[in-house]
Amino acid sequence: MAEDSIFDEMKKAGISRRSFLKFCGLMAGAAGLNSLPPITESGLPQSLEKGLSAYNKKGFKSFDMVVKALETKPRVPVIWLEFQDCTGCSEALTRSQSPTLVDLVLSQITVEYHETLSAAAGFQVEEAKQAAMKKYAGQYVLVVEGSLPTKDDGIYCTIGGRSSLDLLKEAAAGAAAIIATGNCATFGGIPHANPNPTGAVSVSEIIKDKPVVNIPGCPAIPEVFTGILAHFLIFGTLPELDRLNRPKIFYGTTIHDRCLRRPFYEAGKFAETFDDEGARKGYCLYKLGCKGPTTYNSCATLKWSGGLSFPIQSGHPCLGCSEPNFWDGGGFYQGQSAPLDRPTIAVAGGAVAAGAVLGVGMALANQGQKKSAHHSSEEAEKKD
Amino acid sequence: MNWTEILAFARGPFFNVALLIFIAGMVYRLVRVLFLGWSPDKVPAAGSKLGGVALSFLKGILIWPFIPWQKNTFSRNPLIYLAGGLFHLGLFVVIFLGVSHMLVWKSLIGIGWATLPLPIVDWMAAVTIVAMIGLLINRLVNPVLKLISGPAEYLNLLIVFLPMVSGYMMTHHLWFQYEVLFSLHMLAVDVLLIWIPLSRISHFMFYFFSKAIHGADFGKRAVNP
Repeated sequence: MAEDSIFDEMKKAGISRRSFLKFCGLMAGAAGLNSLPPITESGLPQSLEKGLSAYNKKGFKSFDMVVKALETKPRVPVIWLEFQDCTGCSEALTRSQSPTLVDLVLSQITVEYHETLSAAAGFQVEEAKQAAMKKYAGQYVLVVEGSLPTKDDGIYCTIGGRSSLDLLKEAAAGAAAIIATGNCATFGGIPHANPNPTGAVSVSEIIKDKPVVNIPGCPAIPEVFTGILAHFLIFGTLPELDRLNRPKIFYGTTIHDRCLRRPFYEAGKFAETFDDEGARKGYCLYKLGCKGPTTYNSCATLKWSGGLSFPIQSGHPCLGCSEPNFWDGGGFYQGQSAPLDRPTIAVAGGAVAAGAVLGVGMALANQGQKKSAHHSSEEAEKKD
Repeated sequence: MNWTEILAFARGPFFNVALLIFIAGMVYRLVRVLFLGWSPDKVPAAGSKLGGVALSFLKGILIWPFIPWQKNTFSRNPLIYLAGGLFHLGLFVVIFLGVSHMLVWKSLIGIGWATLPLPIVDWMAAVTIVAMIGLLINRLVNPVLKLISGPAEYLNLLIVFLPMVSGYMMTHHLWFQYEVLFSLHMLAVDVLLIWIPLSRISHFMFYFFSKAIHGADFGKRAVNP
């Protein structure tokens, strides 16, 4: 089945040419391909240029590329592993709007294993996973949701009697690409937060020999996930990544840079409390603890629930959920400029006391020295 | 170590330690000065000490800065007076009336206050930076100042200059990524906090101390400085 191209499968399913082209447009959009540089300059394989019109060669051939990919490639097999997670990223994906999960499963991917979505359970589904890993060795996309406990040989998260560390290493060995979704899989997330009782770490701390695409967020934006898959399908490669291995097309700018409340930040107009008049007028939420300036994600552009809104638009400051250690990054509702760590009153009092004691000690020592010097000079005068 | 980690370090443990060194250091300096002792003053009081203190502050902060031509320091080197004055005013506005800094104070002492709009604070920051450059040039050119300036004086300028410039760049998202500038700003602030008690920048505290002492002296003798 999966060896048929996506186009063939759609044809079999009775999908019209019009619907197919519409879907191609959707995919191009999902991968952020509104226009591309000419292939000769982009560093992409020259073979992609075959069959493109002269017009497209100048730089507008993304749509053709999508059509070509869907016509020639089979669906992407996906194995989705869940470890120390809340299934929030999967939940978010089921609410993906463009393309929807149904679109995705029907036409773009085959989900070979997913604890929550698979109909089978127990040893049957584990067997199915083993079979899929064998069949699609070197071809499947491994998606990991949740962090991995490392303490006590990883016993804090086991599936079918095997530790998550073990399961990840096994699945990663045959994967064509690895996508870590959500803050837990990318940076450790809440299990990694202080005091981190299970020694939770991210996927990239375990898998060192393969590139891991991080799509952080709590949850990750579903369109980001579908976008990465679309990119993988169209180009057969992973998109360009930033220093934290996040795809630049989705994590290239900060929330602050694209925020609809930004003009009010520049003008120094801030909401003072939640839902006050300022907040309703659209004033900046910086004073309420917004972490937008240091948070890289595309919430402000892609938005959520089919482009309906995103937290800041709805009056809530950004929590910085796509950044490392956001649970330990200071209070959610404390201004971002506030220090992360400050002395307690007792410690500050200790510093005052230490300064005072040192000062008094030094002053007394100096006075003593002065007196004895005075004394000895007096005696010297007497002798004279 | 990436910039996110550097930022967490500069805003977290390093800031904490720097603040403690600052507090302990300033208390140490103050205690040392207090223990120098007062020479016996047997002059019978001709006026109110408290009134003298009040007058001293009033003149020093609210009157002289606005009629500078009345002062010798102005006519001798207007640049020092103007640039110095603007620098101090700008520093005050930025540190206390900029919203980001107010939030720092709020997190440290628990109370916040109204702040100025960003564009005003921003211009004041620019003025402060230009004033500092002016003061540096003056220090390099003026023969007397040049003679009495050692490495500590230049270091003072530099260590105050760095947080100012990094903060300005951060506000305007210039050249580097925001968290890089944020990290540099915080590192510069941490260094400044540690440097203040070791240097003459401690005059931010001793100024008020000596104004009060001199004011009381003037008040007691009923002389008008």
